[in-house]
Amino acid sequence: MTDIAADSFSITSSDARARNARALDSSRLRARYGAEKRFRVYGAAAIVFGLVFLAWLFGSLVIQGTGAFRQTQIRVAVELDAGELGLSGTPDREALEKAEYQAALRASLRKTLGVGSDRGERRDAYALLSNGADLEIRSRVLADPSLVGKTINLWLTAGADVDTMLKGNISRDVPENKRRVNNRQIAWLDKLAADGRVGRHFNANLFTKGASSDAELAGMGVAIVGSLYMMVVVLLVALPIGVAAAVYLEEFAPRNRWTDVIEVNINNLAAVPSIVFGLLGLAIFLNVFGMPRSAPVVGGLVLALMTLPVVIIATRAAIKAVPPSIREAALGVGASRMQVITHHVLPLAMPGILTGTIIGMARALGETAPLLLVGMVAFVVSQPATPFDPATALPVQIYMWAGASERAFVERTSAAILILLAFLITMNATAVILRRKFERRW
Amino acid sequence: MIATAMSNGAKADAKPAAEHDIKITGRDVRVFYGDKEALHGVDVDLRDREVTSLIGPSGCGKSTYLRCLNRMNDTIAGCRVTGSLMLDGKDIYDKSIDVVQLRARVGMVFQKPNPFPKSIYENVAYGPRIHGIASSKADFDAIVENSLRKAGLWNEAKDRLDQPGTGLSGGQQQRLCIARAIAVSPEVILMDEPCSALDPIATATIEELIDELRENFAIVIVTHSMQQAARVSQKTAFFHLGNLVEFGETRQIFTNPVDTRTQAYITGRIG
Repeated sequence: MTDIAADSFSITSSDARARNARALDSSRLRARYGAEKRFRVYGAAAIVFGLVFLAWLFGSLVIQGTGAFRQTQIRVAVELDAGELGLSGTPDREALEKAEYQAALRASLRKTLGVGSDRGERRDAYALLSNGADLEIRSRVLADPSLVGKTINLWLTAGADVDTMLKGNISRDVPENKRRVNNRQIAWLDKLAADGRVGRHFNANLFTKGASSDAELAGMGVAIVGSLYMMVVVLLVALPIGVAAAVYLEEFAPRNRWTDVIEVNINNLAAVPSIVFGLLGLAIFLNVFGMPRSAPVVGGLVLALMTLPVVIIATRAAIKAVPPSIREAALGVGASRMQVITHHVLPLAMPGILTGTIIGMARALGETAPLLLVGMVAFVVSQPATPFDPATALPVQIYMWAGASERAFVERTSAAILILLAFLITMNATAVILRRKFERRW
Repeated sequence: MIATAMSNGAKADAKPAAEHDIKITGRDVRVFYGDKEALHGVDVDLRDREVTSLIGPSGCGKSTYLRCLNRMNDTIAGCRVTGSLMLDGKDIYDKSIDVVQLRARVGMVFQKPNPFPKSIYENVAYGPRIHGIASSKADFDAIVENSLRKAGLWNEAKDRLDQPGTGLSGGQQQRLCIARAIAVSPEVILMDEPCSALDPIATATIEELIDELRENFAIVIVTHSMQQAARVSQKTAFFHLGNLVEFGETRQIFTNPVDTRTQAYITGRIG
């Protein structure tokens, strides 16, 4: 009995020793190290692959988009002649608002370029400047009525084609009949440039103006304001509802089949395609409640519905991460359940909640599809004064500009993407900073 | 059976009986987690101004019993308590008892020091604040100082009251937790292995403190250290597999146990 046991022991022991020897065999060892090395190379290659595409994306955006932040302007000596403006005596404000600035501008331009009475020549001359150039003079005069009767040198926005050409996006080698800027205009521009009358300045229009079919007058102002309104609506709707739902589910709800169903559905909702939320918004907010079309409040509500599951999931995770010892401590000194939540759990979970909310909002900020369905693809010229006025949103603006046919919209599309990315990076950075700042260790 | 016999036999104490009024009476206390019975009918009487230690191997039900005394078991889903637990003659599990007020009367100190991630001052002032015990700043200051003094932490903490309680050492944190528990002037203090996360020096400090606190409170302490039970407590209850095996004078339990299981445990043969 004992002999057999001893034998079998010695057998297993020598077996084990043989196994060990094999494991330590240098070729096997080398194979193991080799496998690890290969795996590391694959991983590094994957990261390089991703980074290359990211750099490509950013590079092309920056190369294409930065041009749009500067706009070509032409300096014109504008004679604000009262007669040309159609003003007499001391004009009141109403008269100044209705004055013939275009006539005065065109007369000054003709003088500057030495244009005669040929209609074709005149049309070419007028096309050098933007359609909105006379409005720039108007706002100057309205700000300072004493300018009437004087001659002022003004930098005026150039037309989109001129701008595009001077940025090198329209080649002079193209035959004239296929070129949007003709030889006569090029000759004028060269002369103006030689006189120092052509310059490139910061393009404020890009950040303030709304939609326009003239690229040089089109801006993201309406889209930025619309997106801001929507983010406010998302924050006001999704954060309190999401936190309340999460607190209830985490702290009060009994564990039964109903709460299981709710939990599964919340997780599923987070994965529902955003366009479905758009259809929901169209059906409920527009058709049932009759809310205004194209309004940021509706877009915001739709995005809030979309963000809600994200907020709930993030909040539940943050609440779960609060150590039970803190709850016990509070319960132990006689805090009620509500006090435990409001005094201890929520403050400790707040960084996690805010991080989740900001990341959810960043996702909502970049969302396009649901907004198309509630009518936010609109040609909105004026800034929305309230969230109930028509507006567009940043990604929708990108979508619309990307489809525009004019060459000048190409760089504006890239610039718009850069602006949207800047907003997104700011929001995500805020989330990271919040998390870092309030991170606690127990 | 034995337990009842022992608790009857425990009356022979040096101090006069009047000083040792029974604070909490437990009769046939059973605890169920779902369908599983974790505690099989425990009878233990806890006396005022006395330290009672609950000892026994892991999973024997001593912590479960402790947590019945301030109804911390309420927070565990599926946990049910039967039998009677009377605090000054009133049933702890009676519907008319407000659990929040009960916990103000029966404070608790936990195994791992768990100060709130707030200032030392706020840690101590939190209980009085939620119970509305104090209103003016001076009242709070007095309570905080008094509680920290009683917990033996005043000298170390008085210059850093506004610093986070989590920045203290482990032993100091545990004393802060004791200060927090006594700030609401409880009658009973429950301690769930209060020294198991501490080094021997901090443990000795806490043990001295427990001995001082005995002047004013009824103390129930769960411990895995039999030496600690022998050092700090007057009464000892030995639990095994959800049964109260023996309950009596600490001296008698450790020198002359009645039950063979108790003897096996204190000599290290089971546990």
